[in-house]
Amino acid sequence: MPGGDFHPWFFVIIAAWILVCGLGVVLFRKIVYSAVSMVFCFLGVAGAYALLNAELVAIIQVLVYVGAISVVVLFAIMLTETQGTEYKLFFNRQSIFAAPVAVAAAAVLTVLLVSSEIADVGEKSQNPGLYRLSELLFNRYVFPFELVSLVLLGAMIGAIVLARAEGEKQ
Amino acid sequence: MSPLDWWLLLAVLLFCIGAFGVLARRNTILVVMSLELMLNAVNIALVATAQFRSGSAGAGVLFALFVITLAAAEVTVGLAIVIANYRNKRTVLADRFDEMKG
Repeated sequence: MPGGDFHPWFFVIIAAWILVCGLGVVLFRKIVYSAVSMVFCFLGVAGAYALLNAELVAIIQVLVYVGAISVVVLFAIMLTETQGTEYKLFFNRQSIFAAPVAVAAAAVLTVLLVSSEIADVGEKSQNPGLYRLSELLFNRYVFPFELVSLVLLGAMIGAIVLARAEGEKQ
Repeated sequence: MSPLDWWLLLAVLLFCIGAFGVLARRNTILVVMSLELMLNAVNIALVATAQFRSGSAGAGVLFALFVITLAAAEVTVGLAIVIANYRNKRTVLADRFDEMKG
């Protein structure tokens, strides 16, 4: 049975929610619909984290993805929205090959998943609380933590430099 | 199938939906959005594995947090590139960026 210490139907509902919204992202013709579908998909993923007893990740998911990334994506869509004939072909020409590639990748990964014993090793772990997580983050994983802050600084500067208009240089 | 298998199956399917979006869509903003779907799939796999496997208590959850942070950085830079390209060429369609075509 899927999931953990909750009713299996919760897993079915959340999984169907995530997959339907994910399909909506890649299949909607209008990109604003795709963006809204993406927001609902992120909310469903937050629900999945909540089912997995990872409350911290669920909250961070809502804050970062639903709150911040969606707004950035919507801003980019509104800044670059073009009307007209270009949207008649909304898939590119290699999408005929992309669909079999995606289905084949899914099939191969599923067969590997079912045939391997990846999930059978070890017993269910006790989920660490917020205190234990912060202890880990600032002791054992403090180097990746600092590195990520450097990456964020670099991304911020890079985004400003890239998106600045050419004429504003002087 | 064990409980973890179902979560990993969900991650696999979401990852492949995102991969299809990256490969098939013309709009570069949608390519970035599909990349976000793929990163979310990886995060589901990380958190589910951390939940059902002992020994690595906390590491899976923490690395999911790192992935979320890096995804935020990636989407910022990616969309900045899209907007810079749009300013030069007035389009966001991937097959119009063909200057390096031989």
